[in-house]
Order: sequence, then structure tokens, then C-alpha cells
Amino acid sequence: MAQTVFAPWDNPDEKPLIQFKNVTKRFGDFTAIDNLTQDIYTREFFALLGPSGCGKTTMMRMLAGFENPSEGQILIAGQDMAGVPPNKRPVNMMFQSYALFPHLSVWDNIAFGLRREGAEKTQLAARVEQMLKLTRLERFARRKPHQISGGQRQRVALARSLAKAPKLLLLDEPLGALDKKLRQDTQFELMDIQEKTGTTFVIVTHDQEEAMTVASRVAVMDEGRIMQVATPAVIYEQPNSVYVADFIGDVNIIEGAATPHPQADGYSVAWAEGQPQFHAKTNRSFAPGQKCFLALRPEKVAISAEPPEEAANRIQGKIIDIAYLGNISTYHVRLPNGTMMKAQTANTRRLSRRSLTWEDAVWLSWTDTAAAVLEG
Amino acid sequence: MMTHRFLSLTAAAALLASAATAEEVRVYNWSDYIDEALLEKFEAETGIDLIYDVFDSNEVLETKLLAGGSGYDVVVPTGSFLQRQIQAGVFQKLDTSKLTNMGNMWDVIQDRTARFDPDNAYSVNYMWGTTGIGVNTAKVAEVLGEGAPVDSLALIFDPANMEKLQACGVHMLDAPDEVVPAALTYLGLDPNTQEADDLAKAEALLMSVRPYVQKFHSSEYINALANGDICVALGWSGDILQARDRAAEAENGVEIAYNAPKEGALMWFDQMAVPADAPNPDAAHKFINFIMDAQNMAAASNYVYYANGNKASQAFLAEDVIGDPAIYPTAEALANTYIKGPYPPKVQRVVTRLWTKVKSGI
Amino acid sequence: MRRALLIAVPYLWLLALFLVPFLIVLKISLSDTALAIPPYLPTLDFTEGWAGIWGFLQELDFENFTFLTQDELYWRAYLSSVQIALISTVLTLLVGYPIAYGMASAPEHWRATLMMLVILPFWTSFLIRVYSWMGILSNEGLLNQLLQGLGLIDQPLIILNTNTAVYIGIVYTYLPFMILPIYAALEKMDAALLEAAEDLGCSRLTAFWLVTVPLSRQGIIAGCFLVFIPALGEFVIPSLLGGSGTLMIGKVLWEEFFNNRDWPVASAVAVILLLILIIPIILFQRNEQKQREREG
Repeated sequence: MAQTVFAPWDNPDEKPLIQFKNVTKRFGDFTAIDNLTQDIYTREFFALLGPSGCGKTTMMRMLAGFENPSEGQILIAGQDMAGVPPNKRPVNMMFQSYALFPHLSVWDNIAFGLRREGAEKTQLAARVEQMLKLTRLERFARRKPHQISGGQRQRVALARSLAKAPKLLLLDEPLGALDKKLRQDTQFELMDIQEKTGTTFVIVTHDQEEAMTVASRVAVMDEGRIMQVATPAVIYEQPNSVYVADFIGDVNIIEGAATPHPQADGYSVAWAEGQPQFHAKTNRSFAPGQKCFLALRPEKVAISAEPPEEAANRIQGKIIDIAYLGNISTYHVRLPNGTMMKAQTANTRRLSRRSLTWEDAVWLSWTDTAAAVLEG
Repeated sequence: MMTHRFLSLTAAAALLASAATAEEVRVYNWSDYIDEALLEKFEAETGIDLIYDVFDSNEVLETKLLAGGSGYDVVVPTGSFLQRQIQAGVFQKLDTSKLTNMGNMWDVIQDRTARFDPDNAYSVNYMWGTTGIGVNTAKVAEVLGEGAPVDSLALIFDPANMEKLQACGVHMLDAPDEVVPAALTYLGLDPNTQEADDLAKAEALLMSVRPYVQKFHSSEYINALANGDICVALGWSGDILQARDRAAEAENGVEIAYNAPKEGALMWFDQMAVPADAPNPDAAHKFINFIMDAQNMAAASNYVYYANGNKASQAFLAEDVIGDPAIYPTAEALANTYIKGPYPPKVQRVVTRLWTKVKSGI
Repeated sequence: MRRALLIAVPYLWLLALFLVPFLIVLKISLSDTALAIPPYLPTLDFTEGWAGIWGFLQELDFENFTFLTQDELYWRAYLSSVQIALISTVLTLLVGYPIAYGMASAPEHWRATLMMLVILPFWTSFLIRVYSWMGILSNEGLLNQLLQGLGLIDQPLIILNTNTAVYIGIVYTYLPFMILPIYAALEKMDAALLEAAEDLGCSRLTAFWLVTVPLSRQGIIAGCFLVFIPALGEFVIPSLLGGSGTLMIGKVLWEEFFNNRDWPVASAVAVILLLILIIPIILFQRNEQKQREREG
């Protein structure tokens, strides 16, 4: 059965739900958002990812209406949001602290927004029950927020923000307060709920794994700008900048000078004097001798005791350190010129039978498509 | 409450030299009621460390005394309070052998104070005075005409007068023991009556003028009279004379006069006495005897403008004290005064209740 | 052992500072007046042993309490005190809440200063502060001079020696007791709660009513009690700022004690005053207890 790929951003006929048009936000001298333009589409699970202070929270708060842009326009469903207060927007938010009303029961917390709408009693009750069911909180309806666990509170916050069936749900670090195991479970639950309700989610997070897991598209932000917007796979495999490559996952960055390769299509990269050049293929074009960066994921670097045959790139080095992570091991290898490089292998064998150890001389190898060649 | 502690450097040195014999005497007197130079003089003469505290109502003094253990050696209650306190066993009899100045006392006053303290066994008079009417002469004349009855209780108890006077302001003492006898006197009844019917008549009279009284208060009238804020006050002679002098000093054109009512004026006496549990009765006697000295007593009266019960002191009194009939009334006026004794508890309750009704209307 | 000690300390404290004095006052209220030191009978004499104590107990009676019911003065004074205390409490709340709210919403670095400003008047004697209000409110006082100077009034406003002055005095004096607990409640409130309320459809005002007010409820109740209880027995403010007609139980008690020298009746008045206060305190405590139980 053919399944259509969900990619409304590639469809020129699709109308975006949210439009940022040249939005700038300044707090005094500080520019939080710098002339930002971005569309987000209906049913998307859009992640804003970046370090603290990058402007991701400011973007979310402008969507919710708690902040107003200094310049530019924000449109939701085609309507300019300028001057529309938070309580008049088709948007709900799940707060980082959950912001559950401590004086109200779980039930009343979820019903809070519906009551403000003046929802009819039986409909209101039905909707609250539905939300309780969706978030598996039926048993806790009568409890106060301080009488339930952190994970349950997180679900109450989610149920409360979804109760009004908003066009857009904003989630501010929704899983930040949960421990790692619960966080992973909840990530899938979030995706499941997003799919069931068909709501557009915009999530703010500094946790790249979380963004990669849940989002249909990830926007990597830095200093008030979006560096790259793409699906998690593209962000990971084809970062458009050293910043993005470095921010997402583990990466070896090698600086060098590119020269078009005479035989194979691609470039030879001179990266250190007296060392063999590396070969890499890319869509980007570089002038001969232009400065470039190779971004090479450790898991794409093979490590072996014997010299590999037919590898596009290979180089010898010595194991300095091994980080054993259970499922994988990361080897820190020193190249002849002193550069450190990381290589990763999956631990498919038991520990005792592994052959490589400290101080071993090893070969590192990778294909010519393994590394992304970046301009900066 | 303010505590004045007088201890000169020389006295301190003397005390250090004879620490074993260091003595102190604690005196509790009305506020603004002595020339403070006298206190230093006492310390210098006797070497006794004098601790001088002040109070401003008989009730406060009495409550301290009745609770016991006040720690004072000499206190100065008013006669009617003294009488009841003697009955309660608060005081010790004075040792007249230690009061060498007893011969200075004035028999006219001694006869009267013996009504509260038979044989003057427990107390010696400090000062005395009358309760009467202070008026702002010009304002009262303006409201009531030249023939205003400024020397009569009719000024404050006739509603017709009061109705006119309320515009320029009337204060009365907040003291039922003073005002109720005055009302009874105006009605021609015995000021010491304990009859419910008579007291009811006094109450009716007071209720009839109550709406015209700006305030019942026992000290505010001094300033209010002096500033011209009010024109009539039923108050204590010395206080009203003080208001008169303040107005004269301020040269604000306000002229205050004091009159003892012609229907009869209440005469009161503040008496020095020694509590039964006084820590140092010997020093207490020394202090009382010191005050009984003719020159010392005259100095006190010259300072506070109240008459005293010390005949010998009259030779040393200033002319504006001894010569002022408002302070030292003529023999004729003195004959026209009465003394008010204490009420027994049941009657006291009735009078207090009456007074609450007069003030609050309930 | 440690635990028993921890519990014992506050109980001993209560016993020494509350129960024992209360029992003494209660005992006096059941006695009769006498011209003696102290001015009531009987007094407890332990030298006669049990017979002395038995004889002492037999002489106690409720006569003084009966007496209080026979004169409308007393219940009217209680009622008027309750009324004045209630009105003052409401006024203090109305003035204090916005101040506490402003303090809690002020930038962090300002709060210590604002708190200081609230507490600062306590460094001056209470009497001096009340006296200075006499200077402000009197006919020739600062307020009237200002208003007349501005041409707003021709005749001086008569405020001093009226109930209005009493309200002003009580509100002024007890304001910090209202502000501090409310501020404490508001300050620990998460600002995100208000944003959440707005996000869920509240206007600023409804968010205030539905979130801020309920969450500061404990502070409001604590503040109201801290104002109401001392205001009910207040004596100094009504005697200095109030008029002759200002009827408050503290004043009646003073008169019983000082003018009538009737310590037993004065004590009876005090015992009833305490009962009037204890009932709302117990109700309040019970309410708190229930609340805590409900919250687990």
C-alpha cells in the first residue's frame, strides 16, 4: 500500500497555518529574534531546537500572545495576530512548569478552558472525560495536582491544553521535568496524541534527541536566527552548516581546502600537510583551494585492525580512549599528525571478545559519501 | 511614662564612696507637678538617690496600688481616692516623729483633708485646688452678651446657654467624680448624694446639655482654651490658669479667666502617702518632710500655680500666686466650697454607667 | 523522646503564656469585688489545704456574667466593637491587597526595599504614630489645611474624634499585618499560572479572580485574622482618635477596671471578649485542618 509522505512544506499549494514574516523581537538592546521568516503547516509537529537564549522560547511566546513582535508580522490561519490577546487566540500552550492550578482538581484543571468558553454542562463533562481518557488520567480526576506524580501532572497539563481543541498547541520543554525513561515513553505518547487529535504542535526544546524523535520538522536556532529547517533525517545527514552538524549528535569536523577531483566526481580535501587527502562527494560546488569543512559522523567511520581494502578514505591511528556505552562504543583515535577522530561501532559481540583495545594501532575508513562537505 | 532620674556627678561619687549605704527613694507623682530643681536639691541634701515617675490619672495610680508591689515609696493620690485606698489597707501610718516640719501645715486644709484621712494619720497635703469654669472672656461675651453668667454653673448646665456656646466650643472633664457633683450642685442637691433619684436627675441634666459638648476630656482643654479653639471648659483651676498664662505668653489676643462657681465649687486635695509595702519608708518620710519645708513647698507652688496646704510656705509665695484669688480663694470663697468623698462600689458603678450614657448616649 | 520534647515545648509555651493567665482571669471573673489588695474575694489560700481550696471554689459564682446580660451597654459595646473591627478589616484588606499585589509583581531587586517601607513605621513608637494622626486629622490639622489651601473645602472636615478617624487609625496601624501574609502568598505564586489562565481564555481580570485570589486565600484569611483580632479589643486608637460616642469593648473594659475598680466584672468582660475571639479562631483552624485533609 502506497503511503503518501507527510510533507506539506514541499507542496506549493498548501497554505501554512503559521507564518512568521520578517519578525524581529528586541528586549532593550538585546535582539532575541532577528528578522525571522518561517512557515509552519497544519498537522505538523514542529520542533524549535537550540541552546538557551537562542530565541526559541521567545518565538513560542509570541505565538501564544505573551510577547509582541517589535517588527514584522505573525499570522495564524491567515489572520494577523497583532493586538490579539492570548485569550482570543486559537492557540493553547503547555507550560514548562505545567502551571497547573494548585487549588483545582485534575478534572477542574482540564475543564478550566472549556468553562471560560461557556461550554454547555454535559458537553463540557463529555469533553473532559474524553481528555482524561486520552491521557489515561480517569482514576486521578478528583485529585489535586500535588497529589499525583510528575508524569501524571505532565499529562494533566497536556489534557488541559488540548481540551479546547486548539488549532495550534505550543509545548514549552514539555518533558524537561521528567526522568529519562519516562521522557522516552512520553515522547511516543505525545506523537500518538498529536496524530489522534490532528492538532498542529510546536515544541520548544533544547534536547536534540527529543526534537529528532517527535518532530516532523526541526528548526535549529542560534542567536535569534533559524540555521536550518528540515526533517530530522535531513538535519542529521545533511546539515547545512558546521553549527547544525555540531549541535545535532556527535560529529568529527575536519577543516581543509577543497580541490575538484579529476577522476571521480567530487573533491579532494587537503586537511593536513603530509597526510593523504580525503575524498568526498557533494552537491555543493567549491572553487579550487576553497576552505571547506568535512562533517563526519563517528558511526560512519569504520575501525579495524587490518587495513581495509577499497575504502575511499582510510587513515591509520592509535586508540587513545574507548567510551563504552553499552550498545555502542566510541573510539578516540589519534591520527599521525595529532588530530583526534571519533569512530563508533555497534557492540554486536560480548565485551570479552572484542579485539581492539587501548594503544592499538588501527585503521579508520569511510566512504566518499559519508562526510558532508560544508562551507562553514 | 517619663522617668526622671536625677543623679549629679558629685552624688554619684558620694554613692561610690559609700556604696554599702546607697539609698534610693521612688516617688510617683502627677505629671508637670513639681519644680524639678527641687528634686536635685533633695538628692544633694540627703544623698538619697531619687527616682521620680509621673502618672496622669488617679485610676492608673490606684490600679497599681491595689495590685500590690508597686515598688513606690511616696505616691500622691487625690483625697477621695486616698480615702478608699486607706480602707483597702494600701497605706501605712506616717511616723510624725520623722516629720519635723509638721508644724508648717495649714489647719484650714488639715481640717478638710481629715475628712478623707481621719487625723491626717496617713497623708500630708501636697497641693489643692478647685474645679471650676474657664472662659474665653471675649468670645463668651460675644455669644451671650456682657452679662454672661461666667461665674455660675448655669453657664454650662443651662441648655439655653449651651446651645449658643456650642458654636465656639465647650469641653468638660472626662471625670464623673467631678462633673456629676457639679451637676448636683447646680440642681441644689447634695453633691455627695448616693440616692439613685438624685443621680438620675443629674443624669437628665447632663443628657440635656450633652449634645452641645464638643468633647469630654481631662487635658485637651488646656491647649484648646489657650489657642482659642474653645470658649468654655469645666476643668481644674491650675490647668485653666496654665491655659491663661500660655495664651498670655503667646500674645494671641486670647484672654482666659477662671471662676469657681458661685453655687459652690468642688475642692480637691492631692495627698502624699506611703504605701504599706514601700521598700524604703524611712527615705519616704525624708522626702515628705523635705517637701513640707516652707521654702521648698513655696518653690513648688510658685512653679506649678497650685495652692498648697503649708501655712509657713505662704511667706515665700510669689505675689501672683498668693495674691490670685483663683489660686488662693478669699475666705468667703473658701467657705463656698464642698468636698466630695468616694462612692461605695455599688454607687460607683451607677455613676460610671451614668457617665458612659452621657458620653455615648447608650 | 526527642519527638515528645518537640511537642512538649509549644504546649508548655501555650500553657504558660495563654492558659495560666486565662485561668487567672477566669477565676477573678467568678469572684466578688472587695476593698482590699487585690480588690476581689475570695483569694486562694494553700495553707489551709484541701478545705481551703474547697472553700475557695464554693465562693465562686457566675454573678458577674449574669450582670453583663442585664445592661444593654455590654452587648452593644461588643456588637459595636465587632462592627468596627469588621469594617476596619475589610478596609485594611481593600488597601492592603493592592499593595501586597504591587510588591509581589515588582521586580525582584525592588522587593526588599518595598518590604522595608512596609515595616519601617514599626520602628517608631505606636503611640507617636497615633498621635501624629491626631495632628493630621484635627480641625486645624495638616489634612484640613491642605484641602483648604487647595480650595477644595471651605469648612474644615471634622474627622478627628469620629469613627472615621478610628477606621483610619486601625487601617494604618494594622496594614502591615494584612500586607505581609498576602504578599507571602502572592510572592510564591508561579507567574506562569496567570499566563496559563489567560491562555485558556481568561481576561486579566477573570484570571485575577479565578487564580490569584483563590491562591492568596490563605494569606487573605491570615491577614484578616491578624487585623480583626487585635482591632476587636483595641483601646488606644479609639480613645485617642475616636469621639466620646465611639463605643468599643476595650474602653468599657478600661472603665470597669479603672473607674469602677471592679476587677471581677472587668475580667468577665475580658473572658467573653476572648470567647468571641476563640470561636472564629477555632472555626478558622478547623477549616484549615479540613483543607489540609482534603489535600492529603
